[in-house]
Amino acid sequence: MKKIDVVTDLQYDCLDSSDSLSFEVTQNKQVSVYLKNIEEVEKINFEVKDNSTLFLSIFAQKIVKNINFTANVGENARIIVYFADFSVERNHLNASINLNKDNAECEWHLASLSSQKDDKQIAVSIYHNSPNTHGRIDNYGVCKDNSTLVFSGISHIEKGCHQSTSHQNAKIVVFDDGCKAIAKPILKIDENDIEASHAAVVGKVSDEHIFYLTSRGLSIDEAKLLITLGYLKPILKGFNEETASEIDSLIEGRL
Amino acid sequence: MATLKIKDLHVEVEGKEILKGVTTNISEGETVALLGPNGHGKSTLLNVIMGHPRYKITSGSIYLDDLDITEMTTDERAKAGLFLALQNPAEVPGVINSDFLRAAVNATRDEKISTYKFYKMLDNATKELKMPFDLATRSLNEGFSGGEKKRNEILQLLLLEPKIAMLDEIDSGLDVDAIQIVADVIKKEEEKGRGFLVISHYARLFDLIKPTRAIVMINGRIVLDGDTSLIKRIDQTGYEFIKTELGIEIEKEQADMNTVSIGTCAVKETIK
Repeated sequence: MKKIDVVTDLQYDCLDSSDSLSFEVTQNKQVSVYLKNIEEVEKINFEVKDNSTLFLSIFAQKIVKNINFTANVGENARIIVYFADFSVERNHLNASINLNKDNAECEWHLASLSSQKDDKQIAVSIYHNSPNTHGRIDNYGVCKDNSTLVFSGISHIEKGCHQSTSHQNAKIVVFDDGCKAIAKPILKIDENDIEASHAAVVGKVSDEHIFYLTSRGLSIDEAKLLITLGYLKPILKGFNEETASEIDSLIEGRL
Repeated sequence: MATLKIKDLHVEVEGKEILKGVTTNISEGETVALLGPNGHGKSTLLNVIMGHPRYKITSGSIYLDDLDITEMTTDERAKAGLFLALQNPAEVPGVINSDFLRAAVNATRDEKISTYKFYKMLDNATKELKMPFDLATRSLNEGFSGGEKKRNEILQLLLLEPKIAMLDEIDSGLDVDAIQIVADVIKKEEEKGRGFLVISHYARLFDLIKPTRAIVMINGRIVLDGDTSLIKRIDQTGYEFIKTELGIEIEKEQADMNTVSIGTCAVKETIK
């Protein structure tokens, strides 16, 4: 396993790196990390120490075999993840974020495009192991052709972790009859004094939305494209301008 | 001067006939008040004119001048110069309002508008409606208040410059000041010669926008077509006189309560 100390903003290319990476953000830091070629690793771990904030952006565009992503978040610390999944063929991602101390926070955003015969299984879980911890998961996907796209994961609030909040959102827009799309956000709550919600939506582009946009002169195809881009484009704000425009042209090209 | 001509229009939804032979004309330069009790087909008529796929035209025709639009797609109707401000505009997450508006403006014009010109137009229109400009940069209607959604509809009208604009309860959800602002904008658009077909349950809006004609829809038909004294009469006495004077029995609205179950959004269910 390779260990990397993050003391300042970092762009890390996982190509030709170890199979297993561990990043540590020491106390009282605010840093952003951009991970490239994440497809090349199997295990990635982040330690976000007390009073630190980590902005993490990840862009995948090749085959992702099996990635185990873990993060441990300390007191008054935050991890904010933007994951742009434009991998091909396969992506089996398993992410677990542990909120271990008081006022630890995680914000997870993922946008995924699956097409052709892609098989994408994305599980994102947040474990609340301390009182007053806050988690939010937003997974948005577009499923085309004969592909499979599964969003799952657990928001688990342990007993005694009062005043914690946990929210999960899993939304997939489905294009073709051959698609297999599943959204199953799970809540496991062992404490009463908390706030939690989960939402799952899988479906075709809404007829009402199409009517609304076409009634302003857009063709059905233009309307569908605009609505679909609305699922994927919000992820761009997690990336620097150069990468964002690279992802943007990738989206437009694939749709 | 363009005229929308509706002739003996019969319309079904899920096998049930809603419009039972509607005939009327609306021309540019006219503002027509469309009145009638709830559930008698007013919104249906507007949606059918705009080509909503849920409604099936079984007979009759809709023309815009010599152009038969009965079978046209919704976007073709918009390009021909029709516009519908929806009663409950959809929230479309992720679609940025200004991106959408620009795509719409470009779709209805022969030549693409420059970025500078578009933002100039947008800036003017938002000012006219006293809307904060940041609404234009947010997701389309997402998290907008009822009043903001309605203003956003009028904003679209200003940018798209249709020949005939249809407004479905544009005043619902607006406070007194906002009604005044929206009415002022409509009034200006009337003066430019745009045609309006307006549904409202309140005389207040009509007092402000001064319709030129009023039509009354009962049981899926237009039973009265007259001057604007009709608005005042209905506002004061209701629809009872239609029964006593015209001998038309007003069908009760059928509340289909069973399709709404606990846990679903009742508003959304009923507008489907």
